[in-house]
Amino acid sequence: MKTLVIASHNNATLSPVTLAAVSAALKIGASFDIFVAGKGCAAVAEEAAKVDGVSAVLVADHDALAYQGAENLAATLQANAEGYSHIVAPATSVMKDALPRLAALLGVGQISDITGVNGEAEFVRPIYAGNAIATVTSSDAVKVITVRTSAFDAAPTGAGTGAITAVDNAVDCGLSRVVSEEIAQSERPELASASIVVSGGRGVGSEENFALIEKLADRLNAALGASRAAVDAGFIGNDHQVGQTGKIVAPDLYVAVGISGAIQHLAGMQGSKVIVAINKDPDAPIYEVADYGLVGDLHDLVPELEAKLASVL
Amino acid sequence: MSQYQPPVLDAKFVLDQLIGFDGLCEKLQLEDINIDLADAVLEEAGKLSSEVFAPLNWDTDQNPAQWADNAVTESPGLKEAYQQFVDNGWSTLTAPEEFGGQNLPQVLGTAVSEMWQASNMAFALCPLLSIGSVEALLAHGSDELKALYLPRLIAGEWTGTMNLTEPGAGSDLAAVSTTATPDGDHYRIKGQKIFITWGDHQMTPNIVHLVLARLPDAPPGVKGISLFIVPKFVLDENGEPGERNDVYPISIEHKLGIHGSPTCTMAFGDNEGAIGYLVGEPHKGLPYMFTMMNHARQGVGVQGLGISDRAYQQAVQYARERVQGKNRDGSKKPIIEYPDVRRMLLTMRSGVEAMRALALEASAALDFAHADNNSKEKYARLELFTPIVKGWMTEFAQELTSLNIQVHGGMGYVEETGAAQHFRDARILPIYEGTTAIQALDLIGRKVLMDGGVALESLLNDMTATATELSASSNADAQAFGAAFAQAVDKARAAKEWLLTNAPSEKELSQAVCFDMLMAMGYLCGGWMQGRTLLAVIALTDANDDVYGEEFLAKKRISAMYYSQCLLPRALHHFGVMVQNPQALYEFAVDQF
Amino acid sequence: MKILVPVKRVIDYNVKVRIKQDGSDVDLSNTKMSINPFCEIAVEEALRLREAGTASEVIAVCIGPKIVKEQILAALAMGADRAIRIDVEEQPEPLVIARLLAKVAEQEDAGLIMMGKQAIDSDNNQVGQMLAGIMGRPQGTFASVVKIEGDEALVTREVDGGLQTVALKLPAIVTADLRLNEPRFTKLPDIMKAKRKPIAETTAADLGVEVTSTQQQLSVAAPATRQAGIKVASVDELVDKLKNEAKVI
Repeated sequence: MKTLVIASHNNATLSPVTLAAVSAALKIGASFDIFVAGKGCAAVAEEAAKVDGVSAVLVADHDALAYQGAENLAATLQANAEGYSHIVAPATSVMKDALPRLAALLGVGQISDITGVNGEAEFVRPIYAGNAIATVTSSDAVKVITVRTSAFDAAPTGAGTGAITAVDNAVDCGLSRVVSEEIAQSERPELASASIVVSGGRGVGSEENFALIEKLADRLNAALGASRAAVDAGFIGNDHQVGQTGKIVAPDLYVAVGISGAIQHLAGMQGSKVIVAINKDPDAPIYEVADYGLVGDLHDLVPELEAKLASVL
Repeated sequence: MSQYQPPVLDAKFVLDQLIGFDGLCEKLQLEDINIDLADAVLEEAGKLSSEVFAPLNWDTDQNPAQWADNAVTESPGLKEAYQQFVDNGWSTLTAPEEFGGQNLPQVLGTAVSEMWQASNMAFALCPLLSIGSVEALLAHGSDELKALYLPRLIAGEWTGTMNLTEPGAGSDLAAVSTTATPDGDHYRIKGQKIFITWGDHQMTPNIVHLVLARLPDAPPGVKGISLFIVPKFVLDENGEPGERNDVYPISIEHKLGIHGSPTCTMAFGDNEGAIGYLVGEPHKGLPYMFTMMNHARQGVGVQGLGISDRAYQQAVQYARERVQGKNRDGSKKPIIEYPDVRRMLLTMRSGVEAMRALALEASAALDFAHADNNSKEKYARLELFTPIVKGWMTEFAQELTSLNIQVHGGMGYVEETGAAQHFRDARILPIYEGTTAIQALDLIGRKVLMDGGVALESLLNDMTATATELSASSNADAQAFGAAFAQAVDKARAAKEWLLTNAPSEKELSQAVCFDMLMAMGYLCGGWMQGRTLLAVIALTDANDDVYGEEFLAKKRISAMYYSQCLLPRALHHFGVMVQNPQALYEFAVDQF
Repeated sequence: MKILVPVKRVIDYNVKVRIKQDGSDVDLSNTKMSINPFCEIAVEEALRLREAGTASEVIAVCIGPKIVKEQILAALAMGADRAIRIDVEEQPEPLVIARLLAKVAEQEDAGLIMMGKQAIDSDNNQVGQMLAGIMGRPQGTFASVVKIEGDEALVTREVDGGLQTVALKLPAIVTADLRLNEPRFTKLPDIMKAKRKPIAETTAADLGVEVTSTQQQLSVAAPATRQAGIKVASVDELVDKLKNEAKVI
């Protein structure tokens, strides 16, 4: 048995969500290699080599993999899949795009978005928007798996001494090209891996008022999230959306401001360790999942909270 | 604002299990129309009603139609809502294929109509009235008039109104005094009509007014009224709306409810006279109105059903959320856990389900009559149902919408929660399209006394058959229901005999007891439908049905039993008051008030 | 260009999910089923492309037993031209579904396969990608905008950091995300017309695909419920609890 963990990165740094995938790999129990596919991604490979317990780091550095598009990534991984019993990746949009294609190319199934590992062939995953948790087994010769990163702690890194090898069989399928990207540049932590998230909902009221949420997030060094209602209302971009159809997060602290707590939002954050809710409606469903609930006008309470934190932290 | 949950599954159950929709479609020779199609239709109508019309309900109440310079502008949002209604083809549901309709059974149209009414009664009045114009033209219009007006009316491109009432002619239509004077190939209409629903608006390029008026040589009284079409814009030689006709809304009413529905005073012919076209034969206006009456009156009954269900849904939601008091273990107690609140909610729920089943049974009676070439027997059953559906359901709706306010407590009295709106909107229902008394007199006079009680006896026989089937069942609930229902039917039969014996000879008797007869028959018919529901539930449960499911059937069973225990006794009460013939009513002289 | 739109029959998104007493599966008995919301969005997008003159025909395809006819009719009522039902009693695994769809797509010579990104029951988010891999075609997943320009599909995708627009050489596979469009209300006349549209039936055997299975669902459980929390009276109290009790700041 041997596991191949596919690294999530931006060609410059290794994303912490990769470490969640490594955690899953550790639970599977086999030795693991890390695959880094990208363009100009040598630094990422260096970081990957430091992950505790990694055996080898395979690097496919090629123009065709600059954007890690699914066609080229899946084909490249297929060319390098020989000998692995498990192929594990964090459930990022890149990996959700590529891994099923890889599975089909290998003629096997895929297990998506696992939240638990019971053994090398038994996994736990949410279904029906997380309203049910399924335990599934696979008898495929190669198990292709994506990992819900909020469900696994980051595996330790720093002591690893993986051997970095370049592979030269990157594949360019020539089927598509990237025309443009609108990727939000942010100084703030990434939603998927942040330990604190501050989210605003429709109650915030406007794009201008969202600045209150941002100020609180910055005070806590937190990632910035939003409910679907806030995104649809135009207060903030869709890349901040937390929920069933947005990002699933499970930080140590989740602060929900002006969010009523619709099922679809809860699906995205109810795995958080501690939940705080600030809402003017004392009966809002969010209070049913909140560890600490504060009732009142967020336009007063949020600045007050931010100021208090400034003096205490 | 509360969401509206369209009652798709319950409507399907009634159509399928009580009406026998597939069998009806076969009788009507409608190929490939069946319960599955009906289900798909109900689903889509449900979506439109809950997603588009319901959210506008509160707004139209707060932003009523406005009148200025002899023109009416409807509440904001309704024009777009109407466009969606029309674009999605809903105005064509029951109309004949010949003129662009879908030719679906009336009963399906009724099931769908309930959703329009429940989601937004003020708005839904508009297409409801258009149907009246369509029916009048279909039944009595010349081929030329049909060709010019029907396709557009059926498609919803134009709307239609009913102009009957005048300041001096409400319940007494014989007093109509609007005139129609021959002028070349048309007539000039002069007069004033009041309380004209959706008399004017800016949603469509034309409005087709149906008007009752007298010709110059008309006999006096009811035999001298003719029916005319008066378009807002006279059609040019291409059949397109052309010149503005001399008919204007000169004011709109500020009403207790249905603020979104413009209730207009229409002035015909203040200037040169409004151009109108005779529909059918002269002096036949009132008999023509009668052909539309079944549909129009039952339609109002369905409004009572719709508003009651809307109120019920809101009451349940509130009762689930509102916490008052604690349980012994310290946990919070929502008011829905208190028995008296559950009593109110069950009264609403069971009442609504009984009304829904009755409304569909009565509407299907029209379909069955059509399928049987309007045989005397089938038509009589339809006619018997009509005053009961209109009279009983609209009166019952007063209580049910009031209960919604009661469940809300003080907040129900505060407009903001919306409970008050439903109560206010419902208040017109026992009044228009023939007051409760008119319905009750129609029931006794035309529908019981006139044929010597034959139609009523036929209905009571069908009820007895249901009572017998219930009593013969091995199911304990059915037996209990059967016993209670049989007793009520006996009282009905006795009341019928009493009426037939005493009414013809005693001058004021019918009028004195008509209200109680109407309400008694209403509760009785509701009970009949609930009894048949119980039988269907038992049969489905025994057959391990997987279409409706255990949960749904369990609730239907209890609703039926609640009806027999708590609502059916009202029939006994009303029959009891009636046959007592309370002398005090006659004794108290007019000048003693 | 023909567009193939796979549609799936799933639990209605409004319905509360119940789990069987024996923990073997979700309880779907007497449960309202509907067309998967993402599939509905895919149908809508395909219809818009046909209405814009970009596509000639929209073909719905559904895998399942006779009862899925309900969802097929729903797609036809929305406006799909015809439909294909692949008769299978139990829902196959995603790889098999992809293989079945690949055969149909080949037979129909579909230039575009427009499908939902995931089904709200299994939440797998695999079939579109697998289908593209099997057919060796480009894929545009999680689409929020789709434009056809010449022999390319320009697809804007919702990705972790924001948006990415890709150009795919046709024939291609696109999977729809939530914001791609808002499906139209179905018109009454179209509900009537739907039953007259052709629904072809075929089987896995006819298509030459073996229905294999490598995954097994051992059990299904309800998610862990959170313990109820408390309401704090002030910002000061909140900060105190977060710092000293929960120790998260």
